[in-house]
Order: sequence, then C-alpha cells, then structure tokens
Amino acid sequence: MKLSKKLAIFSISTAMVAGVAFVAPAQAASKDLAIGVTLDIDKLDPHTATSFSTVRMLGLTYGSLVEVGPKLDIRSGLAASWGFNADSTELRLKLRKNVKFHDGSAFDAEDVKASINRVLDTKTTAAARANIATITSVTGSGLSVLIKLSVPNAPILAALDGVNMSMLSSDDIAANKIGKTVNGTGPFKFVSWEPGQSVKLEKNASYWKAPVKLDTVTFRIIPTEASILAALNAGTIQFSVLTSPTVALQVGKNLNLYRTPGLGYVTLQLNARVAPLNKLDVRLAIQCAINRAEVVKTAASGEAKVVGPITSPAYASDPNDRPCPNVDLAKTKKYLADAGYADGLTFKAIVSPTQYATASGTAQNLKAQLAKAGINLELDILDNATYVSRWLAGDFAAAVANNGGRIDPDTMYTRYFPSTGNLNKVAGYSSATMDALFLKGKATGRAAERKVVYKQISQELENNAVWIWLFAPYEYRAAAKNVTGFIPLATGSLIELRVVDLK
Amino acid sequence: MKRDPLKPKGGLYYYMQSTSGIVGALLLLFMVIVSICAVFGWLPHDPLEQNVEFAMQGPSTTFWFGTDEFGRDIFSRSLDGMRRSLTVSVSAVSIAATIGVTLGILSGYLGRWFDQLIVRLSDVIFAFPAILLALAIVSTLGNSWYQTSLAIAVVYTPIFIRVARGPVLTVKEMDYVKVTRILGFSSLRILRKHILPNVTAPIVVQVALSLSWAILTESGLSFLGLGTQPPNASLGLMVSEAQSIAAFAWWALFFPSAFITIVVVGLNLVGDGLRDALDPARRSS
Amino acid sequence: MSFGERISRILLSTPVLRIGSILSTLFGISIFVFLVLRVIPGDSIVGAFGIETGVLTPEQIAQLKIYYGIDKSLPMQYLSWMQSFLTGNMGYSYSTGISIASLTAKALPVTIELALIGTILGVVMGIAVGTFSARKPGSIRDFAGQLFGLMALAVPGFVLSTTIVTIMANKFHYFPNGYEFVRLWEDPWMNLQQMMFPGLVLGIAVAAPVMRTTRSALLETVDKDFVRTAIGKGVNSRKVQTRHILRNSLIPIVTMTGIQFGYLLGGAVIVENIFSLPGMGRQVLYAITRREYATVQSSVMVFAILFIAINVITDLIYRKVDPRIKK
Repeated sequence: MKLSKKLAIFSISTAMVAGVAFVAPAQAASKDLAIGVTLDIDKLDPHTATSFSTVRMLGLTYGSLVEVGPKLDIRSGLAASWGFNADSTELRLKLRKNVKFHDGSAFDAEDVKASINRVLDTKTTAAARANIATITSVTGSGLSVLIKLSVPNAPILAALDGVNMSMLSSDDIAANKIGKTVNGTGPFKFVSWEPGQSVKLEKNASYWKAPVKLDTVTFRIIPTEASILAALNAGTIQFSVLTSPTVALQVGKNLNLYRTPGLGYVTLQLNARVAPLNKLDVRLAIQCAINRAEVVKTAASGEAKVVGPITSPAYASDPNDRPCPNVDLAKTKKYLADAGYADGLTFKAIVSPTQYATASGTAQNLKAQLAKAGINLELDILDNATYVSRWLAGDFAAAVANNGGRIDPDTMYTRYFPSTGNLNKVAGYSSATMDALFLKGKATGRAAERKVVYKQISQELENNAVWIWLFAPYEYRAAAKNVTGFIPLATGSLIELRVVDLK
Repeated sequence: MKRDPLKPKGGLYYYMQSTSGIVGALLLLFMVIVSICAVFGWLPHDPLEQNVEFAMQGPSTTFWFGTDEFGRDIFSRSLDGMRRSLTVSVSAVSIAATIGVTLGILSGYLGRWFDQLIVRLSDVIFAFPAILLALAIVSTLGNSWYQTSLAIAVVYTPIFIRVARGPVLTVKEMDYVKVTRILGFSSLRILRKHILPNVTAPIVVQVALSLSWAILTESGLSFLGLGTQPPNASLGLMVSEAQSIAAFAWWALFFPSAFITIVVVGLNLVGDGLRDALDPARRSS
Repeated sequence: MSFGERISRILLSTPVLRIGSILSTLFGISIFVFLVLRVIPGDSIVGAFGIETGVLTPEQIAQLKIYYGIDKSLPMQYLSWMQSFLTGNMGYSYSTGISIASLTAKALPVTIELALIGTILGVVMGIAVGTFSARKPGSIRDFAGQLFGLMALAVPGFVLSTTIVTIMANKFHYFPNGYEFVRLWEDPWMNLQQMMFPGLVLGIAVAAPVMRTTRSALLETVDKDFVRTAIGKGVNSRKVQTRHILRNSLIPIVTMTGIQFGYLLGGAVIVENIFSLPGMGRQVLYAITRREYATVQSSVMVFAILFIAINVITDLIYRKVDPRIKK
C-alpha cells in the first residue's frame, strides 16, 4: 500500500472517530427532553384533533376542566370543584384561581362558555361534540359556571376531560386564532412546528400546578419504531412512545420501560346484519372457537391482557364472564349444526395491517384457529383509508379492529350499541334491551348502581357474541435512565411530563 | 463424439459454454423443483398451520429452518413462498413483456403519431409512483395474486417498450432494411427477418432481470398490504414480516432472504448466459 | 436508450415541438394522477379524521367538504388545483396549513441530495468493481466482482437499512439520524453523517446494475477495432484503458445512471423512513395515506418534471461523451 493511501485511510478513520465524539450529547445546563414518535401532528386545533400524535402533543399545551389520574379517577383540572343537582340535569363548577393562558391573560367563566360553545357549534367540526350534545346551556361569570343538560347525564363529567375539550381563550376564539396559534393553560408553551421533522415546546413558568422542571420538550418524528429504539440506545433522544410489542421486547437494561395496559382493545367486530353472522348460533360458534390467550401469545408476543367489552378500570368486564371463556370446539360444532352450517361456513374480515402493530398477526391467528373449527375466515387486507371508509359504511361481514377506550363505559360505547349511536351501522347490532340499558346507565348518578348496569351491558354483548373481544394491547414508554419521575397513564397522555426531571 | 463442423451450432450449445449460464440453470432447476414440491404439497408441514407450542423455535430436525411466532414451519413456508413469488413475478413479467414488446416494436416501426402516443403514455407511467399505481389497481379490482401481478406488470411495461423500441429504430434506419423496404417486401417479413432477431437478445435479458426485480417489488407491495395476502407466504412478505422478530429469531429472516438471493442470483446468471448465447458477437470469444 | 434517443430527436426538432411534447406528457400525468386518486376509496375527510369521521354530523361533513375543496365537481377540482399549481403555491397541505410549494422546497433538496449521494457512491463503486472484474474475465477477481454485483441486487434495501441502524446504535451508540435533521448549508459535517448510511444503502442498489453494465461495456469495447488498433500501435495499456475503452463504454453507463437516478428519486421512501429524513418520498406516502389530494398531485408533478429534466440532462451528457450522436 502506498503511503498516500495509508494517510488517506488514517485521516478518514480519525475523522470518523472525531465525528462520533462530536455528536455525543453535550452536558448543557438547560434541561432538554427529546421524545421520539413515529407520526407527525396534523393540526394545532385541539377541538378537532383526532390523531394520537396530535392529541398527545396538544395535551401538554392545553388544559381541560377535569383530568384523569393514574388510577383513571376523575380529578380536578381547571375546575377546582363541582356538584350535580339532585336529578343530574345541572352541573355547577367552581374554577381554579390564578390560572393564566400562555399569553398572560386570566382564565375565567367567559373562556369556559366560549370553549364549550365552540365544541357544540357544528361549524367547528369538533370531535367531542357527540359526547357533550346533551349540554343545552353554559352560563356563569367570574369563577363559577353552570352547565344545564337536556337529560339526566352523570357521565358528562368524564366527557369534560381530554384534549378535545381543551379550554381556549375567549379572545382567541373571537379573533378566529384557534389552530393558527397555540395559547393554552398547559405546562408547556408551543414554540415551533417543522412539518415532518419536529415540534418544539418550552416550559410554562406560570403553570398553575407545581413548577415544571424541564426547560424544553421536543417531539422528533422518526417514522419507524426500530429506529426510535436505535436513537434511544445511541442517546440522541431520551424518551419515546412505542406501540410494537416486538420492539418493546428489545428495549435493553440501559433504558427504563413503562408498560401500561391501555384502554383500547383489539376485537373481531361481527356485523350481525349480514348473513351468515345474523344468526346468533353462528356468532356463538365463532366465540367458542377462539382461544384469546393464543392470539395474545402469537400476535402480540404475549404482551397484552385478555379483556371483555368494557376496559374502563372502574367498570371493567370480567374476561371469564362470557360463553366459552376457554375454547370449546364441541360447542362450536353444536352451534354450527343448530345454525344449519354443520359442514362449516365462510366469512370475510377486513384488516388494515398498517393501522397498528398487531393487526396482521391477530388476523392470521384468528384465521388459523377458526380453520380448526371448520370455519373459513377470509382476510381482506386493505390500506388504512380504504379500510376506514368500508368500516364507516358498515361494508363488511367482520373487521379486525383496534378501537379506542374511554375511562367511562358510556362515552366508550354510546356511539356503537344504542340504535341511535353515530356508529351503530358499524357496530352491526342493536336491540331494545341494549337501548334501555344505555339510557339507564346515563341517568344513574351513583357509582354502585352504574356498575350493575354496565355489568348487564357487558353480559348482553358477550351472550349475544355481538363482537369477539380479544385483548388490550400495552402502551409503552421507553426512557433513558436519567429521566426521572414519569407517571404513565392508560389514556396515553404524556401530561405527567410536567413532573419529570432530567438528572 | 464427432460433430459436423459445418453444421451450425444451436443456442443451447452456446448457452452451455458460459459458466454463469450453467450455474444459473442449476439454480433455476432448484427453484423449479422447490416450486413443484409446493404445488403438489410435498412439504414436511402445512405452510399455514399454526402451532403455538412450537413457536419461535430454532432450526431442528423437525423444523429444518425453525418456526415463526405462530409456530409455522419456515422451511415449508419458504418453499411455498418461492412458488408464490415466482407465480407473481412470472405472470407480471409475461404480461409486461408481451404488451411492452408488441407496443415497442409497433411504435418504433410505425413511427409518427402512434409512436408519439405510446412513448407519451409510457412516460406517464414511468414518472408515476409505483405504490400509488398499485394502490389504485388493487383497491378497484380487489387484491389477490393476479391483481398484484397486474399492478407490477403495469409498472414494468414501459421498460419493455423502451427496450424493444430502441433497436427497432436503429435497425429501421440501416441500409439493408431500407433496401428491403424499397424492394417492396412486406412489413411482416421485414419484422420477422430483420427486426425480431435484433430485439430478441435485449428482451430476453430484460425478462430475466425483470423477473428478479419483480420479486423484490412484490415484497414492497406485500409490506403495504398490496401484495400477497397473509397468511399465505411469498418470500418478500416473509422477509418483511420477519423484520420485527429478527432480533429473537434470526432464522425467520435469514432463510427467506437466502431464498430471495438464490432466485435473484439465479435469474441474473440465466440472463447473462442467454445474452452470451444469443449475441453473435460474443460467440466468437 | 430509446428514451434518450427520443429526447434527442425532440431536441433536433423545433423548440416549440419539443416543449409541446414535454407539456403534453405532463398534462397526461396530471390527469392520470388526479383520476387515480379519485378512484381509490377514502377521501380527505376519512384520511384526516379516521374512524372519528363516523361521529361527525351531516352538517359537519358538509362543512369539511367545503374546507377540503371536495364539494365541487371533478372538472372544477382539477381546474382549481391546476390554477394553484401553475400560479406557484401548488395548493395547500391541509394538515400543516402550509403551501405545498414551501413544503416541497424543504423536502425536495433532501431527496435530491440523498439521490445524488446514492448515485455518486453507486457509480464509483459500480465502475470500480466493474473495471476490476473486466480486467481479467473469468478469473477469481472477476468472480468476486460479479458476486458483489449479484448480492447487491438481491439484498432488499429495508433489510440492509435496519441491519445498519441496529448495529451502529447498539454496538457503537452511533445514530446521527436521531438528532434533528440538519441541512448541508447549516452544518455540512452533521448533514453528511446523517446522509452517509442512507446514501450507502441506495448506492449499493445503484452499484449493482452500473457494475454489470460497466463490465459488459468494457468487454464489448475491448473487442472493437479501434482498441485493437491502439494496442497494435503500441499505446500503453493504461492509456488504452482510460482513453479508449472507458470513454467508449460511458454511454451505456450514463444511460444506466440516468435511469437509476430517476428511480432513486421515487424509490427513496423506505430509506427516508428508516433514517428519518424529511424528504419527498415521505411527503408523498404520508399524503397518500391521508388522501391529501393536492399534496399527492403536486408532488407527483414535481417528480415528473424532474424525471424529464434528468432524461434531457442524460441526453446532453451523451452528446459530450459521444461525438457521433451530434450528426
């Protein structure tokens, strides 16, 4: 080898080493947290935000009247206290003192009125409108607010939580600035958004709760979860949100992994309005042919919890309280024979493999399990927007779906199963019993009575094998060891970054 | 063995002269045998059968290539996947080559507005994202293996138009062809006698290359749900699915990747061999 | 070849005709992409709201249709898009509220830089290995070179990318792409680190066909009379190699490179995703999944214009390297 060549190689390799040293994270005085996420945000208007990524980011900048705690209990947020009248048709709220928007203006009843009215206005196209449609008027002044309801509706309190119910400044609403600027009451202020790359936030020094310790928070968009893990291992980011069980299982001891069962659930939706699934016996045959633990083991690498219909912790269904909690192929056979399908049957399910990590695996395992029972499940694999359009139109016999959960079973299912629900076409099932039960659940204020009602709803859903509820995937947060104090929430919210410190 | 030195030697003779051709032919033979096994179901296990007890096992005497997260036998799936991958790519390339070559020759030979139209159309497809095209075809016509083939065929047709049209343009301007034209020979005769022989070599080579590309394209489409439908296996789908579990089960990624390599290398070597055999200039060396 | 020839024929004709044919191709593409997007199921509302679309009231849906501009008839939608495309802002991306022209102005340089680095690495590797192989056909080094070419063809880009990312991050704690993407003019050194591995992955894909083309072009040229004459005249072998053989083999290599560069522009999606580069591939893919019609349409048009430009440039390079084409 010539000397010149050797020199060249030497200088290149030195440069590489120097480069590695150069990019090592600098120990700065400022506490900056970089979060790796796969998807970019898609808007800045909290009332119309529906994608997880947008809701997650805006949740740090806005606040709502009530909040959900780690045990999914309802806690005070911007409302310090509240009370219902005797028949649950009026809700009186006392607002928190000394809360300021990021622009320095004070938060009061005017803002609450303007915000709720904005959600109710159809022109806003707000996502939470259906949840609070029973609100007839919002009045009040200073720090007291009175919300009147058209029907008795105790679950309305839970419906006031969340990014879609963010409190906005009445001045901003009047000036039509929502979605163009971010002016909330949350622990972090919005700084900038570079589409496809990052969203930058900084500390809100006058946050109403304990002082925020982090100086800045940056959401960095890294489209694949394997690359997010690589960035964590390389120390270029300190925190991340993961959904893939196989990636989460690769998180090493050099990082902290938070694993929380989420509220969302994976289910095989059956459309009871389409033959042959319109026969109860057919649906029960399917129900009895599926071993849920096996679905979890294969599709989610064992990383999920088998659940019943209701995942809201206070009302959670017992997953063993269903026809055939364990596989029973003899029963399947009997049900099939009763339905007139002794020789087996075929039905089709729509699947969107890009929607979530376990979709394709779940579909494949269901197919294999049903095949053993003589049922041929055909899979119709679609791109996500196609899947969603067919799902919305009820244009399917079955659908492998990952639906979101809520902390209250009413807000979780009132869109699906009552015959008046916006998504009843998608649910593919309704009955007079179901309608009556949901009305009863809404009207009942006391927790003990509500528990009885939702247990009945859960049993009604399972005994009719309306859908085949499978499992609740885990929510994962992976963080570097120097990130301290984080509390994961089942809702997927990152709001507890307000107490996080970087050591 | 005596051979009449004056008797012209066949293409096969020249093909067997090239090392790459022989190696390629052997690999191709391997692929065909594997596919035949899969067609007749001569496999140690059912490629679709799931058995959780045996999930994620390494290669053993029972499962030669190990098992995946569903406990499916990767050896049986690889064989079946080879068959599906070849089916998709062979049908896609056959369609693309037939349509592309016909249009390419016609547009080169006829020229004028027809040429302009074809070239313009193929440019439109050329400059168009393949994913969008596949999405359009699959979502309007439904997705099974032949729609996937069709989507790939549409993407590859312009390549064949280009490959066939170029030599036609060159040959058409050559003096001897001009002379035959002036002498009043029919277009068909000119096509058959002078043009076809000149475009065969580049097309045959292009077919072999396209077959191997089509297998990789199918893999990308499968990943987006536009290719082979799970639980069926294609080599590309197996590779993209194994990606996520590769950290725990290297065999799930390694064996299907190795099969893809065999297919791609084999088809390319066959392409080389064919080119050597068909190109008169190379026969001398 | 044929495309270059076609372009060269166009160049020979009057400029008006030349521009006319390019414009008609672009017009065809614009109609095609517009129609394809309307054929695939799902619209901008479903793309943006997902399953929450089902909770919207009919009044809300009507509002959104106006907002997304899909309340108008198809010809009107086409015309209003064309108008915004031609007048400069190319329409708006609904998710960001930013004009597609300014989104593209940020994303396009990333993809072009990536494709250029990929092409340069690929051409250097391809020509080097190709020449290396062609020196002694049939030898062990020829075999090794050809093996490299075949392996480079056979390994899917996403397998190579993920392997590189995992090894670099886990073993060397090195993943510069985890930092915010920086532009070449902001911090050239950091930018090159972020571009190095994705460029290499694309480069390997380019190297394979370039290597094979180089090798066979060299072997073909060696047999040509003028080379034999040069050797016969006693011109030294290195000079023959560079001046005569390589120069004459350049035409197919240039063609191959031009085609590959065009493919890279469109084919960089997977690499941009894994290495988190905010380029055009990601912009289009994201817009397709969200059915952001204007973004997809305008981005495809930008690709098409570039694609045609590259073919014209390739053709001009031809003329430089091969004086015979001038005629």
